[in-house]
Formats: sequence, C-alpha cells, structure tokens
Amino acid sequence: MEDDYYFSGGSEEEDDYYPSDREAESLDGLENEESDAKWATSKAPSSKVITKESLLAAQREDLRRVMELLSVREHHARTLLIHYRWDVEKLIAVYVEKGKSCMFSEAGVSVIELVDLDPPEPSSTVVCNICMDDVPAKDVTKMDCGHCFCNNCWTEHFIVKINEGQSKRIRCMAHKCNAICDEGIIRKLVSVRHPDLAEKFDRFLLESYIEDNKMVKWCPSIPHCGNAIRVENDEFCEVECSCGVQFCFSCLSEAHSPCSCLMWELWTKKCRDESETVNWITVHTKPCPKCHKPVEKNGGCNLVSCICGQAFCWLCGGATGRDHTWSHIANHSCGRYKEDGEKKAERAKRDLYRYMHYHNRYKAHTDSFKQESRLRETIKEKVSHLEARDSKLRDFSWITNGLCRLFRSRRALSYSYPFAFYMFGEDLFKDEMTKKESEIKQHLFEDQQQQLESNVEKLSKFLEEPFDEYSEEQIMQIRMQVINLSVITDNLCKKMYECIENDLLGSLQYTIHIIAPYQSKGIAKAEELTWTAQANSNNKCQKISDQSTGDLIEMGKASASGTSDESSQLSRKRPRKGSSTGSSMFDLNLPAEVHQPNT
Amino acid sequence: MVDFARVQKELQECNRDFQVSGIKVTPKGEANLAHLLGTIPGPIGTPYEGGTFKIDITLPDGYPFEPPKMKFATKVWHPNISSQSGAICLDILKDQWSPALTLKTALLSIQALLSAPEPDDPQDAVVAQQYLRDYQTFLGTARYWTEAFAMISSLGVEEKVQKLVEMGFPEDLVRTTLENVGGDENLALEKLCST
Repeated sequence: MEDDYYFSGGSEEEDDYYPSDREAESLDGLENEESDAKWATSKAPSSKVITKESLLAAQREDLRRVMELLSVREHHARTLLIHYRWDVEKLIAVYVEKGKSCMFSEAGVSVIELVDLDPPEPSSTVVCNICMDDVPAKDVTKMDCGHCFCNNCWTEHFIVKINEGQSKRIRCMAHKCNAICDEGIIRKLVSVRHPDLAEKFDRFLLESYIEDNKMVKWCPSIPHCGNAIRVENDEFCEVECSCGVQFCFSCLSEAHSPCSCLMWELWTKKCRDESETVNWITVHTKPCPKCHKPVEKNGGCNLVSCICGQAFCWLCGGATGRDHTWSHIANHSCGRYKEDGEKKAERAKRDLYRYMHYHNRYKAHTDSFKQESRLRETIKEKVSHLEARDSKLRDFSWITNGLCRLFRSRRALSYSYPFAFYMFGEDLFKDEMTKKESEIKQHLFEDQQQQLESNVEKLSKFLEEPFDEYSEEQIMQIRMQVINLSVITDNLCKKMYECIENDLLGSLQYTIHIIAPYQSKGIAKAEELTWTAQANSNNKCQKISDQSTGDLIEMGKASASGTSDESSQLSRKRPRKGSSTGSSMFDLNLPAEVHQPNT
Repeated sequence: MVDFARVQKELQECNRDFQVSGIKVTPKGEANLAHLLGTIPGPIGTPYEGGTFKIDITLPDGYPFEPPKMKFATKVWHPNISSQSGAICLDILKDQWSPALTLKTALLSIQALLSAPEPDDPQDAVVAQQYLRDYQTFLGTARYWTEAFAMISSLGVEEKVQKLVEMGFPEDLVRTTLENVGGDENLALEKLCST
C-alpha cells in the first residue's frame, strides 16, 4: 500500500505529488528541502534571542511607540508599559476606551503640570513630613504627583523598596498616593549612597521587559545562558535559543508537541512517579500478613511462605498454617467471592498494561532518536567518502535533508504516544467523548500514526545502509527512496498534526489544549536581535527623549493611530526645576553594558 | 536603624492631644524606643465601648519606611483580630503602609477597625463566622471579652494582689509582675502562668 506514494520522476516528483491547487505550498516545501542543507533559517523566524546586551534595544521599540503615541517622557512610558505588562495593544485599547487621564491614574503616572506659585527660597527651610525635621529647601525633592519630602527620606524609602524587590513600581511616600516615582530621581538619589543598589534597580527595570511580558521568557537552560526569547505572534510554539536549548515556549519544558503542555506535564510526572511501580506491586504481589513485605509468588501452589517464615494463602492473603495439599490448606477456606478486591486489581492491571504499551513505544522512539543522533556522524563520513569518489554525483544534500527529516519525524512520533495515552484515556476527556466516539477517533489517529511509523522506519533503514560502498546506480535508487520517504513522512506528520488539531483537540468543548503547530523545518532557531540596526533607533530615541525632556509635548487631540506627526501636536513649555534630573534620565539610553556590572 | 528622632517627636505629639483622641503611646523600656505600648479606647457604640485596649508595638529597623509591627496585648473578640495571638489584619500595617503615616494614625486605623469589622477578610475565621451567622451571639461574646479583659478593674492594688495570691502565686512575684504590666491583673495572670 505504501507503493502508492512512490513516483517514477526524478526531480519533479514533489510537484507531481502535490495537487495543483496546493502549488504554492509545494513550492514552499521544495524550498524547505533545499534550504535544509543549512537547516537554520530561510524565512524570518518568529522568535528573537534577547541577550544581556540587547535587552535595552529589545524594549526600545515598545517604549518609543508609547512615547510617540502619548507624548510622554520615557520613564512614564516605561511605567505605563510595566503596568500593562508590555502589552502595547492592550495599552492602546485602554487608552482609546478610557482615555488618557484614567489610564494614567490607574498606572500611577502623573503628568499634571504643577505650577509652583510659591517656589521656596533656596535658603529657606521646609518641614519634611516623614522625618519631621526642618530641612533646607535645596535638599527636598518634589515628585510628579506634587508630594515633596526630603532627599534623605526619599532615599531611605527607595532603598527599602528596592530591597523588597519592588523596583518596578515604587510608589510615592504620601499615604494613598498612587503615583509611581520618577526612575531618574530614584537612580540619582540611590546612587549617591548605594551605587550597587542603583545598578540593581536599573537591572530590575530593564528585566521587567522579560519578567512581566508574556511574549518574552527566559531561556530555561541550566546553567542559565543569560538569554531570553521573544516570540512575535504565537505563544504556543517551540523555539531554539542561541545557546542550543530547544523548548516549549508556553511551559518552558522540553519541546513536546504534539502533546499539549498539560499532557506533557502529566506524562513526565507519571514517568517519574513510582506510582506505576506501586501499581505493579499491587497486581503481582501480596503483603505478608506478618511482616507486611510484598511477596511475589514464584510458582507452586497457593500456600506461600514469606522470608520471615509466615505462611499465608495466596488467594486471600490470610495467614495460615503450613499443612497443605495441592488443593487445600489445612483449616483454611476462602472460597467466598469478594467482588471489590478483584475488580480493583483487574483495573490496576489494565491501567498498568495500557501505560506500559504507550510508554514502551514512547521510549523506543526516544531511544531510536538518541541512537540516530549518532547517525549524524556516520552520515557525515559517508558523505565525505562519496565526495572523494570520482563520480557524476555531486549533490548529496538529499542525505542530510533525509536525516533531518528523520529526526523531526521521529520526534513527532515519539511524542505522539504520550498524546494518545491521554487523548484516549480516561484521565482528561472522560466527559468530552463517549466511549464509542473515543474508539473511532482512536482508530483514525492510530491509522495515521502507524503509517507515519512505518515510513519513518523505512527512512531510517535506508539512511543506515552503507551506501557509500554502493554503485552509482544503487545510490541513485537510494536517493530516490530517501527523497520520496522524506516527502511522505513530512506530509504524514503534517496530516497527523492536522488530525490532532482539528479532529481530536479541536472538537473538545470543555477543555482547551493547544499544541505548538507542526514545523516542517524543525524547531525554529531564534534570531539574534541585531545590535547595529538597533544603534540607529537608539540614536533616534535619544533625540526623542532629548526633546521630550526639554518640552512636554501634549497632543492636541487623542490620536489613537499612534502616528508621531509632530505638527499635529501642541508644544507647551514645561518649566523644569534644575536639569539634574533630566540628565540622569538618559542613563537607560546608554548601551546596556553600562548597566551590567558583570560584562 | 530606626529613626528615633522621629519616634520621639511622634510620641510627644501623640501624647499632647491624648485628652482628645484617648490614644496613648509609651515606651516599654526606659532606654529602648523600639518597643512601645499603645493604648486605644474602645469606640463608643460598639461592644468594645468602655474598654481600654493595649497594643504591643515593635518598630522594625527600617521604620518609618517599613510598617511598625502591631498586635493586641489585650484579648479581643473581633473578626480581623486573632483571638489567640492578637495579630491584626489591617492593610496599612502591611502593603498599604506609607512612611507618611504615624503610630498615632495607625492606632486610629485600628480603632476604626474595631468599629467597622471586615468579616469577609478575616484574621480569625471562628469569630468571622459567628459574626456573619449569629450576630447577636457575636455581640455578646465581644462584650463579655471587653468586660473581662479590657476594663480596668475597679479593684485596688491590694485586692488584686490578694486575688492572685489566692490563686497560689507567691506574693513577691505577684507584686513585681503587677508592677511590670502596669497593674493589669489579667496581663499579670497571663505572665505568671507563662513563667
């Protein structure tokens, strides 16, 4: 039956294979197979690696969007973004729905222009309401919210909050004042007394972009590589960090599709748990009535004796004397039927066998996968042998392509077993499907799974052949087989995923299981954020913050579109007391290394 | 380090208008301002009326940038105060603390809590349940506890001493203990029992 998949053509077989209405896709597929030689990235990947150095550049774009949209200074933009967990779309939605002032007060941003009618004389003193001391007016600081306390008290307050781990949202000291303190002032005051703490503060602020952002997560590598990954649109995906670790972005464990995260969590727990061992013990052993050790019957009659010397009846587990015949133990009878115990053991046995079935296959495929990883080396050797030979054949990319295909299909196959274990088991979807529905679906799925399995095995077989010793004609034969099988397994994987997504998981009503989509090219490697490109936007940003620290630009009208057409904005001069706070605001515009004491 | 200059000022200010507020804060020991004893009168119109409630105050090193630790030294029957330990469930003593608040404002807030319990956010589940299910019994118990633990006994010092001596404690110890707790026979009894 697999013969249906084979084709006679040489190079056009892929085009033949796809119906014409899917030509675009098939071209894509063809391209994939070719670019697989490098097997990194042909299309722009949907995820980015954020390193310590590019962390600042990564958030630049979001900050700039908010600064331009709302005409606010950078620290206000950051406060807003932290409050809305770096979800610019949400922020814009709130802005459109509730308006600027409501949004600002919720997030603790105050940009009300404060007119100091009676600015204190620099030589005079004021009472600080915290320490209750008279302090010179030059030693007090007024926040954007208008509350004014002495610098010492502010500093103490900031230090306590930073040490409490609240760097990202340090509120004003006044009771019930919701305003978030200006990061520039915090940095300036804290660094006077504790430069290291000021650095910590900056790092917390920068790392908020990772910690609070659902589209960015730390790479789970151990030891930690220091990178974070940002995905562009779909959080349910699998990514590869530049450090080489592949993981499920949604649950941060190893890549496990087509298992859903919940299924994978349950599966790993089950595999780790001793519960199955316990299950085996309940099925195959009985506790000794005296020492309570589990005793396994290794043959013979139903009178069992434990190593402790106690004899007991295997049928009922009760202690007995030692006198017995084949059919009877002296002074003992336990022929009465007890349904419950039987059923329990029966059930445990069935569950155990079911688990063993799936686990064996899962394990077999993972093991094959591990062994095939060694194949990569031998294949390399074979290819170099072939290349050394004087022959017409020059292009051996089909070998490496086939190998990659084998790895990917093997992966999908091995994880499809834990998926099936939960999909058709009673743990998760008992209320979602009738037994019959479940059976039908199981057959449908297993048909596909088995087709995939047999093709994967075939592909594996061909790749393991010592084809570097074959004649050219034989190699051409193998080449065709490998190319064909690569296309077939790719398609079968795709179909299996479609079946899982549409027919199995898609039809569920009460529970939501989302799996990472099938990636024909394997798990996409996250791209490095390019530092040079960021430098430009950095400069641009510098200009923006330069300007916005000098002036407070307020929009004439709420422009929800987010364009930064400056002619539509009314500029109003905002008097700033002392430029000292202004200059320290640029700290975050410096390259991130400045904030990284370790680099 | 606790800002003792501020604490000193707070104490002066608080005790200045004691006549109006009825709230008093006194240092527990001679030398140390980190341990204080606060006193609040039970709010009028509540089962706590007429009682005088003592509150044990410990100032953390970061005071006033960290909230003071407060708990009832007098036993009190209230949904937001543990009937066992005297622990108080009040937001301004936790995350809503602000350095601009003072010991006096905190004590005022506790006093306000006495008149307006919040049974939906309880510290003592038993009391809260009684408050919600059987308000009359709650009132009765709260009143009884106030009378039993928070009323300054009309007994003279000698009578108190005699009462405690009758319970089986040595007279010398009874006298010193009574002195230490400021004449409160209930506190003295508690102390005597725990030593």
